[in-house]
Amino acid sequence: MGQNQSAQGPGAPGEGKKDQEKKKKYEPPAPPPRVGKKQKKRDTAASLGAKLPTVYPTAKCKLRLLKLERIKDYLLMEEEFVQNQEQLKPQEERNEEDRSKVDDLRGTPLSVGTLEEIIDENHAIVSSSVGPEYYVCILSFVDKTQLEPGCSVLLHYKSMSVVGILSDETDPMVSVMKVEKAPLESYADVGGLEPQIQEIKEAVELPLTHPELYEDIGIKPPKGVILYGEPGTGKTLLAKAVANSTSATFLRVVGSELIQKYLGDGPKLVRELFRVADELAPSIVFIDEIDAIGTKRYDAHSGGEREIQRTMLELLNQLDGFDSMSDVKVIMATNRIESLDPALIRPGRIDRKIEFPLPDAKTKRRIFGIHTGRMTLSEDVNLEEFVMAKDELSGADIKAVCTEAGLLALRERRMRVTQADFRKAKEKVLYKKKEGVPEGLYM
Amino acid sequence: MVAPSDAKPAGKDEEKKGAKGKKDEEKEPELSEEELALKTNLDMMVERLSDPDAGVVKLALASMIAEIRSATASMTSVPKPLKFLRAHFDALKARFDAMPVAQSENRASLADVISILATTKELTREVLKYRLAGSPSDLDIWGHEYIRHLSGEIAEEFRVRREADSSASVDDLMALVKQIVPYHMTHNAEPEAVDLLLEVESLDLLEAHVDEKNFGRTCLYLTSCCAYLPEPDDAAVLRLALRIYRAQGKHHDALRVALRLNSREDVEAVFAGCAEPLAKKQLAYLLARHGFALNLEEGSAAVEDDDLRESLREIISNSKLSEHYLALARDLDVVEAKTPEDVYKTHLTEGRAPAGAAAVDSARANLAATFVNAFVNAGFGQDKLVTVSGGDAGSSGESVHWIFKNKDHGKMSATASLGLVTLWDVEGGLPQIDKYLYSSDNYVVAGALLAIGVVNACVQNENDPAFALISDYVSNEDINIRTGAILGLGLAYAGTGREEVCELLSPLVVDTEVAVEVSAFAALALGLVFVSTGREDVVMSILQALMSRSDVELATPYAKLLCLALGQLFLGRQELAEATTEVARTLSDRISQFAVVTLDSCAYAGTGNVLKIQGLLAMCGEHITAEEGATHQTSHQGAAVLGLALIAMAEPLGGQMAGRLLEHLLQYGDPTVRRAVPLAIGLLHTGNPDVLVMDTLSRLSHDQDAETANNAIVGLGFLGAGTNNARLAGLLRGLASYYYKEPTALFLVRLSQGLVHMGKGLLTINPYHTDRQLCSGVALAGVLSVLFPCLDLKATIGGKHHYLLYCLAAAAKPRMLLTLDPEGRPLPVPCRVGTAVDVVAQAGRPKTITGFQTHTTPVLLGAGERAELATEEWLPLSPVLEGVVLCAKNPDYVEMEEGK
Repeated sequence: MGQNQSAQGPGAPGEGKKDQEKKKKYEPPAPPPRVGKKQKKRDTAASLGAKLPTVYPTAKCKLRLLKLERIKDYLLMEEEFVQNQEQLKPQEERNEEDRSKVDDLRGTPLSVGTLEEIIDENHAIVSSSVGPEYYVCILSFVDKTQLEPGCSVLLHYKSMSVVGILSDETDPMVSVMKVEKAPLESYADVGGLEPQIQEIKEAVELPLTHPELYEDIGIKPPKGVILYGEPGTGKTLLAKAVANSTSATFLRVVGSELIQKYLGDGPKLVRELFRVADELAPSIVFIDEIDAIGTKRYDAHSGGEREIQRTMLELLNQLDGFDSMSDVKVIMATNRIESLDPALIRPGRIDRKIEFPLPDAKTKRRIFGIHTGRMTLSEDVNLEEFVMAKDELSGADIKAVCTEAGLLALRERRMRVTQADFRKAKEKVLYKKKEGVPEGLYM
Repeated sequence: MVAPSDAKPAGKDEEKKGAKGKKDEEKEPELSEEELALKTNLDMMVERLSDPDAGVVKLALASMIAEIRSATASMTSVPKPLKFLRAHFDALKARFDAMPVAQSENRASLADVISILATTKELTREVLKYRLAGSPSDLDIWGHEYIRHLSGEIAEEFRVRREADSSASVDDLMALVKQIVPYHMTHNAEPEAVDLLLEVESLDLLEAHVDEKNFGRTCLYLTSCCAYLPEPDDAAVLRLALRIYRAQGKHHDALRVALRLNSREDVEAVFAGCAEPLAKKQLAYLLARHGFALNLEEGSAAVEDDDLRESLREIISNSKLSEHYLALARDLDVVEAKTPEDVYKTHLTEGRAPAGAAAVDSARANLAATFVNAFVNAGFGQDKLVTVSGGDAGSSGESVHWIFKNKDHGKMSATASLGLVTLWDVEGGLPQIDKYLYSSDNYVVAGALLAIGVVNACVQNENDPAFALISDYVSNEDINIRTGAILGLGLAYAGTGREEVCELLSPLVVDTEVAVEVSAFAALALGLVFVSTGREDVVMSILQALMSRSDVELATPYAKLLCLALGQLFLGRQELAEATTEVARTLSDRISQFAVVTLDSCAYAGTGNVLKIQGLLAMCGEHITAEEGATHQTSHQGAAVLGLALIAMAEPLGGQMAGRLLEHLLQYGDPTVRRAVPLAIGLLHTGNPDVLVMDTLSRLSHDQDAETANNAIVGLGFLGAGTNNARLAGLLRGLASYYYKEPTALFLVRLSQGLVHMGKGLLTINPYHTDRQLCSGVALAGVLSVLFPCLDLKATIGGKHHYLLYCLAAAAKPRMLLTLDPEGRPLPVPCRVGTAVDVVAQAGRPKTITGFQTHTTPVLLGAGERAELATEEWLPLSPVLEGVVLCAKNPDYVEMEEGK
């Protein structure tokens, strides 16, 4: 059963005609009911090829071209055929008629309920928001393949029979994670870190854009990378730059977001996250501060800890589990790689570990250059002094110095930032950093 | 130092102004010190090029080249030296034009540099232009990426020149091509070499560079391109592969290509070219599987040695097939005969069991049991219904032999089922059949004659009993005996092209005095015997029959058999059929369209010809409003749908896309079109029970239109033919209880159950064999002889011509891998069986199978599966492990020491 029957109107399939022929009261047993998500998935695929065949070889060569051209030819033929048919028998008119009939049957107003259970092909138990549960019929024009326990359905206002389905959306939690607006930071805003950029490009971007390069050489591209290093060395910045430059779907999560209040919600969210990633493939999943859930496993005393560990186990499974994730790449960031569970960062799950060191003199110079690029500096400013200084400055520190210098200049209502501002700013920043947090708190 | 930004513009502005300025300014802040040094260095060299002294220029060029060559880049970005030189691109070009001709060496080097530089720009064939002006040195020093780029431009230039003038000189290009091809061939980039040569239309150059290391990959690529190339090229590619294989002494590969080319001379030449007796035997096994008759006595493939000839003849005539098949059965422990009930498994059916309803039409039920029994026990030589002698069965005294429990045509099929049970076993089968020849019942005699044909299907016994036994009955008065004899002859000599059969049957085809039924079956038999030969006299006689028959006769389903026979004669012969198609157009309008469509689709069967598919699709899309009693106006649409599948079945890609087309046909098509769709699906996926396809068919099997549903049931049978697929079996059981009150549908469900369990799951009727590379014409003709009549299901298979199902005997082959030692004894060796992987143009030596399991031969091979030996001890003589494979002892094999 499927589209064909449901389009033909009410009545169990095949029933009417045979009855007439044989003049006997006879009703064939209904074909097995098909409900649920799994079935839906299969039914969409069952149409002999909703998906286009994958073309091998993946390397650029004439054979591939020829095969793709062949597919194109077939698609053109399909298009031509469907167009002609639509011209001959415009389907919309017919549909229009049917639709108005269906609308009549539905009636208004409709109430919304939840499908609790499907009893058989034509009956179900529904519950409405006010409380009681009803045993009702499902009208024949409802697409039963989309019905599944727990989904929202439209109910007739009097008879409460199921007259429609409200398609559910993806978990709102996950849709929030999708980065709709690309961040403004691009690779140009990253000072230095060239090897890191190259590595992340090779591991994350290129497999999505040029899979044939990997095929050519005969390797499987890495599944994911982990970025680690001191705070403020540009891990998140680089991830933002990746999001900025890629056209793939970019999903970003912070590790702590995956910790949920209720038991089982965390792993579910992880599953959902990867499902959405798979649906929207090619996609990149960025999990910031992975140490929130990815710490080493040990005997947990509280339920909360256990739950966090379970969330991580689900993450492990999604990274390298039974379901292959083909066009989903994972980027993780942490500044405490040593505390992560070894299983999480083993090759096969996270193949590349990219370290972000503190910037050296050259890099520092460039970072200063980036940050001071849009500032009005007075003549006497010589940034080399700071670049060459022996202090351990991270990228974030440099940014802080520049901002602080700007603020100092602002305070004195000057339009230019002087060398003195920079010196003062640096001292301030370094002081706070060196003193450590407790003292800082009492300041 | 505030350095970077300051020093550079100064140095730069001196030598160059304009264009590049803007670009460089953006990058300035990113330049590191080394980069800066490199940049100034390069800038200086560019400047020096303008020096009048040739020596300075030479030095500058040399260091520039060294710089470029030593640059290692990440795979994402342009190498640094090139990045900096890009800015000077126009300057370099200007310098090149201005350089005096006297400095030819410098000019050439400069051209080299410009050519390299051009790869980083989106320009029209600049790379090639300067390459041609460049030094004639080796290209490979510039690396693979450059050569790739150059190849692309050569192809483009070639096309442009040829478009402008078809005889334009391309010698300069060819000189480059001759440099590039060896490079590719020696660097594991065979596909690229082939691509380039295809583009410049000179594939012949390839042969010289093929050696024992790279021929495998090259030929694999060539043969897989073949299915997608336009018409003259595809054969050219195959011929090249054939030459390469022959030059490398790979006879088995060569023979496969020759068979694919369907050219008798090539097959004979390859066969004759193989001197080694064992290898020759292996070739003979391939020919036997393909159903290719070869004359060993005389002609180019003649064999001198008597012993060898005898053993080769034995192999090619499939005489040992039965023996091998039984060996397989014994090994898999499935020798014991099965009853239809073992297949129906009614105890598993839920709800109303059809058993009680069987009384509705017990003749049908018995007939169904006959077929199921025949299919399930096909080739085993024993069953529990027909081979049981009267005495055994009559233990209770009054019981009659199974054959006589059937009615009329049922008796014919029941007797003929004896043939299927003893399939291939001529010596064992004929005595059992013989006694029925003397029966007083005409139906039984007819069945016995058919049985003789079935037993001999694909097997040529040296005593040639079939012709001697059957030929007399062809002129018998009784129409049933006649049809039985004719069909028997057709099956017995399917694919052999026997002259005597032609002489005997041709007059029957033409004769308008005999019933159209006889004439049609005679044509069908001829179609089977002379499959894809395009023999003119047979074609003429069938055409004549179609012309001389009255409209009433042409309206019967038999006329369609005549058309099908015509199609079989031209199976896969492509344009050879055109003349006949033209004639077919002039036939009576009752049949002409059907004839044209059938002929056309058969002629292009397995070619994947997109234009033909387009035509057929348009035909299926027509909505013809036929008046009452004028159904012939739409009948060709059914054939068109089957034609779609027939043409597209060549390669998996086309098959999948054709699946999509069929889906559209289901949505938009008229009833005639929709009815044929399940059959087309069955044809596309014969013996390959894919879950999704199964779902589609099972959906259709509940269709409102009874005929669509019936065809879907038949389609399910074809889908799972010989697979024992449990899921499909369960599905059919469900259908059996669903249709328990509909005799026709139930009969078909039973048939499909029989097909699914065909030969207890050891057989396949898929015409594609040997890694899906070859399509056996005989097998395809056999399958078509069942599928086309299914277009009029009620009148043929569902009516009294159910015995047409025995045509499947021509297609049935064991789906096994059986290994033999050099003496021809079964040799159990470990082997791995797994899903085949497409390895064309893949880097390295990729795995050819995945998800394998290790078994010991003989083993069964499913659809899309491939096997490889898991031991070094034996070497297979055939690179494709399918069917019967001879193994030779590996001389280098060293036994692994135990206990280490």
